[in-house]
Amino acid sequence: MPDWHELARRRLGPLALDSDRQEEIIVELANHMEDHYSDLVRQGKSEVEAVQVALSTVADWDELRHEIQLAATEEGIMKYRIKALWLPGVCTSALSMLLLRLLQIRSAPAPNVVWLPYGVGFVVYWRWLLFLPLIGALGAYWSRRAGGRVVERVLAASLHIVGLSYLMVLSFCLAVIIDFRVSLSVQLVAFGMYILGWGLAPFLLLLLGALPFLRGDAGESRPAASLQ
Amino acid sequence: MKHVINIGAQVKRGSAELAILLVLADGPLHGYEIAKRIERQTQGVLRFNLASLYPLLYRMEKRGWLKATWEEHASGRHRRYYRLAPAGKRRVLPLREEWGQLFRALNSLAGVTHA
Repeated sequence: MPDWHELARRRLGPLALDSDRQEEIIVELANHMEDHYSDLVRQGKSEVEAVQVALSTVADWDELRHEIQLAATEEGIMKYRIKALWLPGVCTSALSMLLLRLLQIRSAPAPNVVWLPYGVGFVVYWRWLLFLPLIGALGAYWSRRAGGRVVERVLAASLHIVGLSYLMVLSFCLAVIIDFRVSLSVQLVAFGMYILGWGLAPFLLLLLGALPFLRGDAGESRPAASLQ
Repeated sequence: MKHVINIGAQVKRGSAELAILLVLADGPLHGYEIAKRIERQTQGVLRFNLASLYPLLYRMEKRGWLKATWEEHASGRHRRYYRLAPAGKRRVLPLREEWGQLFRALNSLAGVTHA
């Protein structure tokens, strides 16, 4: 029979709770798995099968840790989202926009234009793009400190670009309807250029900066999960 | 074939809370017993697993609906027993009425009549 206590501890990983409460939760989860295992063995399952079935009741331990954390700290989902998503996301967005505006003022009136074949060009603020990995890193780090999951960390790093891309898609749909006299291919090329210059490229650079902070919990590495 | 509902994201949390409050109305139980009791009393239609049960129990405990204490089980191990707190007892009747109304409304919509 596996050491259920150790198994629960390693799979659940660290909780941001005091050590007594954390230990209580681990003991309680271990007891539950052991009871389940014992029931299955009594019903005729082999020990190996029983262990596998008992463990399979938790499909995602990260999600369970997250749910327990929220429940045990009495932190509502709204409060959690404000701390782990909206606050870092809005602050990094403001920082990014402020930086862009400063660069626009200083380098006005000529941003860089990258020309592609067939006379297609798009506006690029290289210096702004170079700062984006730092801004992405800040957003993801902040979100991780607040207990954010990977999805919140990515969104906190790239909130303004995700929002902007959403608006661009919406605008494109409206433009197709309103400017129906303009060729769809022209509209598609313009949309593609906007998405490339203001959506995809900035998003990838923000993600690049966020990458080191997409792993681990609140600055700690989670212990590797193992079966036994 | 009996349709099994695994209590999780697809079932509203309220129904799961009501199920827990109702089984604890009969007396204190530890987590695994709560899950087994609900499964048995609903003939396996409602099932809790470890991942769906404990976050809910902790949340209900934080809200003051449940009270938990460590007690020695017949097996000799210490188990965390949950019992209804006064606030939880007060929640049972309103929740039961709300869900009763909902199911009656759904039955009406579906054209289901009681035997």
